[in-house]
Amino acid sequence: MTVYGDLIGQDRAIGVLRRAASAAAEAVAGGRGAGMTHAWLFTGPPGSGRSTAAKAFAAALLCPEQGCGHCDACHQVEVGSHPDVTFVRPEGLSYGVRQTRELVLKAAGAPTLGRWRVVLFEDADRVTEQAANALLKAIEEPPPRTVWLLCAPSADDMIITIRSRCRVVTLGTPSTEAVANVLATRDGVPHDVALDAARAAQGDVGRARRLALDEETRRRRAEVLSIPRSLTGVAECITAAERLVKTSTEDADAATTALNEVETAELRRVYGEGSTGKGLNKGLVRGGAGALKELETMQKSRATRIKRDSLDLALLELMAFYRDVLAMQFGASVELANEDRRHEVETVARASTPEDTLRRTEAIMKCRERLAANVHPQIAVEAMTLALRSSGVVHRG
Amino acid sequence: MMFRIDRDVLAEAVAWTARSLPARPSVPVLAGMRLEVTEDQRLKLSGFDYEVSAEVTLDLQTGEAGVVLVSGKLLAEITRALPAQPVELVVDGAKAVVTCGSARFTLLTMPVEDYPSLPAMPPAAGRVGSDVFASAVGQVAVAAGKDDTLPMLTGVRMEIDGDTVTLAATDRYRLAVRELKWQPEQPGFQAVAMIPGRTLADTAKALGGSGAEVEIALSSAGGTGEGMIGFSSSGRRTTTRLLDPEFPKYRSLLPTEFSARADLSTGSFVEAVKRVALVAERNTPVRLAFRGGEVVLEAGSGDEAQAVEALPVDFDGDEINIAFNHQFLLEGLGAIDSDIARLQFTTPTKPAILTAGKPVDEGANEDYRYLIMPIRLSS
Repeated sequence: MTVYGDLIGQDRAIGVLRRAASAAAEAVAGGRGAGMTHAWLFTGPPGSGRSTAAKAFAAALLCPEQGCGHCDACHQVEVGSHPDVTFVRPEGLSYGVRQTRELVLKAAGAPTLGRWRVVLFEDADRVTEQAANALLKAIEEPPPRTVWLLCAPSADDMIITIRSRCRVVTLGTPSTEAVANVLATRDGVPHDVALDAARAAQGDVGRARRLALDEETRRRRAEVLSIPRSLTGVAECITAAERLVKTSTEDADAATTALNEVETAELRRVYGEGSTGKGLNKGLVRGGAGALKELETMQKSRATRIKRDSLDLALLELMAFYRDVLAMQFGASVELANEDRRHEVETVARASTPEDTLRRTEAIMKCRERLAANVHPQIAVEAMTLALRSSGVVHRG
Repeated sequence: MMFRIDRDVLAEAVAWTARSLPARPSVPVLAGMRLEVTEDQRLKLSGFDYEVSAEVTLDLQTGEAGVVLVSGKLLAEITRALPAQPVELVVDGAKAVVTCGSARFTLLTMPVEDYPSLPAMPPAAGRVGSDVFASAVGQVAVAAGKDDTLPMLTGVRMEIDGDTVTLAATDRYRLAVRELKWQPEQPGFQAVAMIPGRTLADTAKALGGSGAEVEIALSSAGGTGEGMIGFSSSGRRTTTRLLDPEFPKYRSLLPTEFSARADLSTGSFVEAVKRVALVAERNTPVRLAFRGGEVVLEAGSGDEAQAVEALPVDFDGDEINIAFNHQFLLEGLGAIDSDIARLQFTTPTKPAILTAGKPVDEGANEDYRYLIMPIRLSS
């Protein structure tokens, strides 16, 4: 299996990357290497595999056979230890200018193993404006063997000056059928469950997998989607908002705990946990406490971000619900994300007008904007649930 | 895999290798130290933080070939604490057992297949005495930039032309240049490399002091192993990733004609600058007025604290008032490695050159030059 094996339904993008990788190999061999570019922007909806694609491309650049999937280079890129790939994952809410400058310095070096020096920047849309400006020069004129791979949901998420310096690889939303197939073949999920999960995840493979395999994730989704019909009065709206915030916090906590535990255990082992001998039983060796503290700080900052992401995900699910409602109101013959809740969608569609639905989706978008601007979640969501309830009344604000 | 070795030899090798391990590894596997026993009974210890790789090779009496990856920090702590007896390390499944006298340690191993490939050493280019090299690097690295906005200013440029090596570094406010002789492998060898300043300084220090020679491995332009430089000395070798070789054309910046020259006793000059600088804020200058046989140092301004001190000077040329950043001046004085400091000027707004002074009739030692930009006086 080549490095592109994890990309689902992205044949066009893979074609582009393959051609670029062979051009790159030609450049390494001393040829012209026409078709290779030093800055790339991978865009696509969540779960379409932006970072997977970028990682595959990194492996293809560094592997002597352009991504065989089983040599040392491919393996090291896969586990994240290859000396010539710098992985950047903004763990906090944003990525600042100081970190960026350090990154630019790192990227300025020649490749260690002689092929390319790759900087893989996941969620590059999280760079602050200052940080983006610090990146400009490095992206515009990198040293001959440095390649920047930026990932962002859409090209519009990057400032124009960066966007114009990158070649954009657009990943499409994989079809429900393709995602369901992967779940069925790789994870052994029964076909109908896989189909429901794939539809509900709207092309996000990771999300679909969690929905299909994890009972808790399904329960939380049901909780979120029970909100539209529960909004019968003001009191109910407030409760619903509280429930929504609580559910997404639980979701975030679950995700955070899982991540933290693995990292902490790994770090503790580096500092001597699990090893035995005289003097080692009292705890970690020198530097261990400091390193753990640093890790905790990073984890805390990440937890804030995951919390925000998870609430955003819940809002997007609500959004998808109203989108289905709107589709039904217009009689559009498109696949419903909430096919498994067709009945509820119908009920809401009959009880309201398309104008109501549009107003509601707008309320959800407004809520997302407010959250991004650091409004207290409870308050922002309350404002939203209230707006979702009232029909026919025009709210301004 | 197993090996048995003298405790001191192992502890020293482990401690040296552990220096290059990253303080905050981006992936856990980088915190590992790779131990390999080769078929020809050698023990290789290596560490890598992506920028610098370090490897020590030791001879073994008893060993069984194999590779293992263990936490470098842990191994360093353990070997330091071991009693002075032969040490034995045996790999048993996912564990490595270290025994030394009555002490016994069990270490968890890390997945060696995840460990990054170490860069290959470029071909050997030549040799230089480790002490000369360490002091030359120290003299130049002091002027390398510490902020990361322009990568090329954080590096030390190494130019090799036959038997002459020129090291240069600048952070735009000062420029240090040092020339030294070495023995190239091939007489007409030419190469240029930009080495990260901090890394080079650490490497030179780590390899220096032994009195042995340092072998520098570097390929000429377009050769194999381009982009890396290697240093090795008595069984220890390190490789460092090079920066983009772009660098300001610094030779034309060094003035060749001067209107004045001042020789001062380095020690008393340093002390005086330090005293006067006490009242100078971080970026305010120390002002120097050279008149006949005296220089008056001043810092601070009317509204704030002021300091004045006069020193005798052997001065020749037009009288001059000039001002410098005191930190840069002190670092330069610290780097010239001479009892007499020689400052040469053209005008108060043009760069001054600091070199090691010699008695006047011998002329200045031109191996090392420290260019320092004056701060313009507003009056």
